Amino acid sequence: MTGGDGRSDPKRELWLAWYATVAFYSLYAVVFFVVTRTQPPGKPWYGPVEVAAWFSGHHRGLLVGFALIFVLGGLSATSIALITYSIRRMSVSRAFAYSYLILYAIAAVPGFLFICVAMTVGAMRPGRDPAVLRWLYDLGFLSFSGTMGVFLVGSLIWMTAILLDQNRVFPKWFGYMNLCNALTEVVVAPSWIFHGGALAWNGTIAWWINVVVFGLYTGVFITLLRRMILREDFGRGPLPDLAPTMSGPGEAAAEVAAA
Amino acid sequence: MGTTFDRRLFVVWLVLVGITLAYVGLDHSLGGGTTLSASAAVTVGAIGLALVKVRIIMREFMEVRHAPPLLRRLTDLLVVVMAIAMIGAYAAGRTLG
Amino acid sequence: MTSAGGGTAVAAATGPATGSGHVPGQPDMWFFVVFESLIFTSYFCVYLFHRARHEGAFLQGQSHLVLWLGVLDTVVLLTSSWAVARCVQHARAGRHRPALRAAVLTAACGLAFLALKLVEWARLIHMGRTFTSSEFFQFYFFLTGIHLVHLLIGFVVLGVLVRRLSDRERPSQQAVETCATYWHTVDFFWVLIFALLYVVR
Repeated sequence: MTGGDGRSDPKRELWLAWYATVAFYSLYAVVFFVVTRTQPPGKPWYGPVEVAAWFSGHHRGLLVGFALIFVLGGLSATSIALITYSIRRMSVSRAFAYSYLILYAIAAVPGFLFICVAMTVGAMRPGRDPAVLRWLYDLGFLSFSGTMGVFLVGSLIWMTAILLDQNRVFPKWFGYMNLCNALTEVVVAPSWIFHGGALAWNGTIAWWINVVVFGLYTGVFITLLRRMILREDFGRGPLPDLAPTMSGPGEAAAEVAAA
Repeated sequence: MGTTFDRRLFVVWLVLVGITLAYVGLDHSLGGGTTLSASAAVTVGAIGLALVKVRIIMREFMEVRHAPPLLRRLTDLLVVVMAIAMIGAYAAGRTLG
Repeated sequence: MTSAGGGTAVAAATGPATGSGHVPGQPDMWFFVVFESLIFTSYFCVYLFHRARHEGAFLQGQSHLVLWLGVLDTVVLLTSSWAVARCVQHARAGRHRPALRAAVLTAACGLAFLALKLVEWARLIHMGRTFTSSEFFQFYFFLTGIHLVHLLIGFVVLGVLVRRLSDRERPSQQAVETCATYWHTVDFFWVLIFALLYVVR
């Protein structure tokens, strides 16, 4: 599909952003869960001795994994940008898009980078005082889990935009899914208070169930962004549905039914 | 509300309130008051009654009764899944405790 | 309660015929109902699992709750559900004023629940039972707290419902039903929470 004047496919740029988004989330998952093993998080009740042991056990993973994040973490911008783009494509005021963009751009610093910095600092000098290590450990995990407020408001902005939107950029059920995601952010708030149990930063409720919901949510929005790009007509009105040949007949039927 | 009063809906409300009051009976069957003792029967009974109420709320208040078969079956499945999950979690806790 | 013969005549006057295949509200809202129910169920499972492992401690904490307050809470929310169901029926039949009154009754019940909940919390905190004082109360305040958040969102949803009811230009029965569907989840989540916190032994 080519645009006029022999210009390259205008969607190519969108696809570039989408693939970068997929790359970012894959990198994120691999670095946090496999390389650094900072997720699932360390136990909040560890004393300085256990924390020092944790750091030496995770030493190389932390340095390698977070070095990767420091280099490639900027890819996260594409995810935010694409979502902002999707909000701009909606019939709602552009204020929604700008608010979302600002919020998430800011949220990345405490919610994402602090843990990278704190853990790398901790791993950098193995002989560091365990009490200081514990301080870094707390800072890292708490900032990762506890700064949910910004993401919460961001989800609500996206939700409101989707529900008000008349251009059918996203199905309404995804709007409601944003509410579910936002509510799970509320659930993490008590992790500042508890050193153990279901509501601690590694708890069954505050971490495990939250991660399942967040994982589903992320998978869903990446898929929906892909559909948006497929449907994009660069107009200002409602996005057309996918033609039956581009998706399965079942999907097209569901699209019509959901409209 | 006169002639538009929906008797069925009101009866549903009465039934739901009745079941809620039945909980008090369930509580007293263990001698309420200060001495509380664990009881798997009460636990399972309480969960069961709650799910009966949930299904009634869905069928009657949420009008699932008039919904397409898919939604009716989906909500029934949801209630069943909740029952199995909750009772399962409780049983798991008791055996692993 | 299965759809027995009896009420079909009344149902025809106030609602679609049984089995007519009418989805109440936006189908999308039902996604929320199912998804959120599953999330709450997972919270309940965690609670029940922990409870079964520390029965004594949980019973201890539970003894400080007043069953009757829980019963009252439940009856209030059941009434609110009844009210919003009436609202949907009135709106469907074009009875605008009664629909509005029913919506107001729903909100009033919601406020009553909120007041009761705050009183109950105040009483417990005054007694020294707080979020951090025991495992039972950790779950108690967590479950009632997250439920309260849903209730507060419910007030916003009721606001949307009233706005759409009053909108003569673009009347939308579907919007009214969608909002009602959300409100009912606030009710049935409480039904479950009440049973789990106040009755389960």
